[in-house]
Amino acid sequence: MGPSLWNVTAPAVGSAFFASVVEVAEAFTIILAVGTLRGWRPGAFGTVGALGALAALIALLGPLLGQVPLQALQLAIGILLLLFGLGWLRKAVLRAAGIIPLHDEAAIFTTEAAQLAAGAHAKGAFFDWIAALTAFKAVLLEGLEVVFIVIAVGAGRGLMWSASLGALTACLAVLGIGLAVHKPLARVPENTLKFGVGVMLSAFGVFWTGEGLGIPWPGQDLALPVFAGLFLGVALVTASVLRRPPTEAVR
Amino acid sequence: MSLLREIAAELCSMFMADGWLALGTLIVVAVTALLVGTWPAHPLAAGVVLLVGCLVILVTAADREAKRGAAE
Repeated sequence: MGPSLWNVTAPAVGSAFFASVVEVAEAFTIILAVGTLRGWRPGAFGTVGALGALAALIALLGPLLGQVPLQALQLAIGILLLLFGLGWLRKAVLRAAGIIPLHDEAAIFTTEAAQLAAGAHAKGAFFDWIAALTAFKAVLLEGLEVVFIVIAVGAGRGLMWSASLGALTACLAVLGIGLAVHKPLARVPENTLKFGVGVMLSAFGVFWTGEGLGIPWPGQDLALPVFAGLFLGVALVTASVLRRPPTEAVR
Repeated sequence: MSLLREIAAELCSMFMADGWLALGTLIVVAVTALLVGTWPAHPLAAGVVLLVGCLVILVTAADREAKRGAAE
């Protein structure tokens, strides 16, 4: 049976899209710092290099995933989704409760710019490898999370292309807006997005771990939004119970 | 070399940022698998254990971190 549009496909594509917005906004802050302080050539070189490395990773993993039996794949991905999604949701709950500081792109930009300025003596060299490597590392590390989320929400039900399209749309949207405004995307509601994506990934994690173990969920795909509602409700109540005065936003 | 170390650390932190949460989640999954294997007539009961277990792990992990933060 194919995945149902509103119960599985839309949450999978939405999770890939919003998770990518969060990760690409973080990577863009570093690229912007590199570009404005050390030149756009090394920034673009590092970014393209990292995107190439990520594409190679996907090209390598894609055919391998096709060889794994579906039930084993669902179980493995379900467990990884639980570990990843519950981790995101825990952090989002703690940020919403004011226990750990909110992510601040402007502060990250300032810190990164200071570090790049400290190494400015290399600017006169033929090519600024340090700047290129900084952009490469940022895009690669943030991109790894996007690749995992796309594979995790897409592979269990043959939704890799849809999830990839969601992630690619987010990348283009964030980069387009970022290049237009030419400053860190500090107004992206990072924790709200992380909260929502953490809820969806945890729900997918329970759903696919259960399917991988042979548990027949009542209502089949309809169970997914029910799980998401439960995770959302419990996370909101936990954040509310633990709430403290807001902590100053730092990296 | 340091880049490879950073990538390995990033991959590890993606899934194991909180050791307690990761261990608790793996235990819940193991208990669920055990229930499915030993009590195959009632797989839904194992499903309830999986779902409720994950919710309990989430709340407990957040509460532990909040208490640790308050103690510092």
